[in-house]
Amino acid sequence: MDAARLAKRGISIASILVVWFVVSAVGPETLPGPIAVATTFAEYVVDPVYWSAVGLSTARVLGTFVLAVLIGVPLGLLIGWNVVFGDFTYPALELIRPIPPIAWIPFGILVLPTLAFSLGFANFEVQTTVVFITFLGAFFPILLNGIEGVRGIDDEYSRAAHSLGAADWQTFRHVIYPGALPSVHTGMVVGMGLAWVNLVAAEMISGGGLGFMTWSAYTGGSYPVIFVGMITIGVLGYLSSTIVRYVGASQLPWMESAAA
Amino acid sequence: MSERKQTTDDRNENSQRTTGEYDGLRNGRSGHETGTEGRREREGGDGRARATGDALVEINELRKIYDPDGAHVTAVEDLDLDIGDNEFVTVLGPSGCGKSTLMECIAGYLEPTEGEVLVNGDPVAGPDPSRGVVFQSNRLFPWKTIGQNARFGPQMRNAVDDDRIQQLLDDTGLTGFEDSYPHELSGGMQQRAELVRLLANDPDIMLMDEPFSGLDAMTKELMQEMLLDIWEEEDRTVLFITHDVAEAIFLADRVVVMTARPGQIKDVIDVDIGRPRDSSVLTSEAFNEYQERASDLIHDEAERAMEQKQQETQEA
Repeated sequence: MDAARLAKRGISIASILVVWFVVSAVGPETLPGPIAVATTFAEYVVDPVYWSAVGLSTARVLGTFVLAVLIGVPLGLLIGWNVVFGDFTYPALELIRPIPPIAWIPFGILVLPTLAFSLGFANFEVQTTVVFITFLGAFFPILLNGIEGVRGIDDEYSRAAHSLGAADWQTFRHVIYPGALPSVHTGMVVGMGLAWVNLVAAEMISGGGLGFMTWSAYTGGSYPVIFVGMITIGVLGYLSSTIVRYVGASQLPWMESAAA
Repeated sequence: MSERKQTTDDRNENSQRTTGEYDGLRNGRSGHETGTEGRREREGGDGRARATGDALVEINELRKIYDPDGAHVTAVEDLDLDIGDNEFVTVLGPSGCGKSTLMECIAGYLEPTEGEVLVNGDPVAGPDPSRGVVFQSNRLFPWKTIGQNARFGPQMRNAVDDDRIQQLLDDTGLTGFEDSYPHELSGGMQQRAELVRLLANDPDIMLMDEPFSGLDAMTKELMQEMLLDIWEEEDRTVLFITHDVAEAIFLADRVVVMTARPGQIKDVIDVDIGRPRDSSVLTSEAFNEYQERASDLIHDEAERAMEQKQQETQEA
């Protein structure tokens, strides 16, 4: 990127700070200015409590994201590929999908910990609700993009493979799977973003991590900490989506747009 | 045709394809021969002109009806055609005349609504590596390199012959592009690579659906010559679909001219031009005569096809 462009982008970020600064100077006392937030941030960065919240939230997102990929990708590819399998599974998933993640929280708190305990996952009860809600966020974009990815592959590629002697499973391995990957990748980028959104919502209510840190700063009246939490979540969300985007692009060298 | 393939000594010993022997064709619906006069003397007692040798592909009273939402479109009707071993047949017809449907039935992608398609006497049941296909839009796998694409067929049966693939890549000028992805190549190179992928799999029959229609005139001519070179060297039967009159004649032993939809065979032209052929043939008198005749045949059909299309557009 050339210097002029960098400068323009720098101005964009600087202007937000300026607006924030001005509004906090003349505005309500509950809104801390950038300097107060920066000071608090500096204190938090050396505080192990902050890092344990960061670590917990990141671990939760990464764990659930991997789980969502492991379940969502094969499921999406199979639903898109096999009409019968799709008929058996897709309607049920479509029924669950429109329920907003937050609406799952009471269910999660009431049912899941008990379920986890009775299944023998002791010490994991607190996690179950957050993990479940986060999973929903990552899972559905990955699933839907997997299905769409398969459906978007021109039939002639499968025909070509069959005419070259490929059996059904070989067609799946060499045509369906690689052909759907660009769409799956898009789903993973979106899913990673939604995983953070859902994680924070779930953590605010059922506990732990950056969500809880931000929420308890609000209930405890330490307003700059709210902003420390917000900024941290924003940066981590951006970083993880960017990593997914770049790792994905590096795995798709055949995409014309992936050259960048 | 008597002088054809003099350069390839052994390939025609078992199949003397002199004029008339493969006029295995009849318009079934009208019940009489619509083929060229004087070429039907070998016709069998059942009223059907057949190949006297073994027909590799035998199409009997093929009918294909598409019925999406009860629209009931007859793409191909009462079509009879025999294709001999190692014969190069082009199918010439206006767009939307069911040429591709015919090809897809032979490839095994479509099941005939009525009639049958036999290859080596057996009904076609799905796609098979012995019947290779080249598609109109290039269908190299975009996620595989040129080398991986070329290896694909043999790789499916764990029988990759690297020497042969290298030879094919050399012959088609693709050496050095093994690690490139299809989108990095020009249209002509992509078509050559798809041809390599097909030939690496060594099919008995090559089904080609307007493979060169997307190329510029110059590239197209070079591709046609290359295809003929390859075909002359190895035993192979080709069914080549096109709407380009000159292309149909230049390549073919026989040109099958189709009617507008429902696709039937209007006439068959035996192309009696010696082989090997190169682009100098295109300016010969004989070629011009064939071209005139084929153009006459196809002109009315092209008009009808256009009217059909207009009607459909208005209805839609």
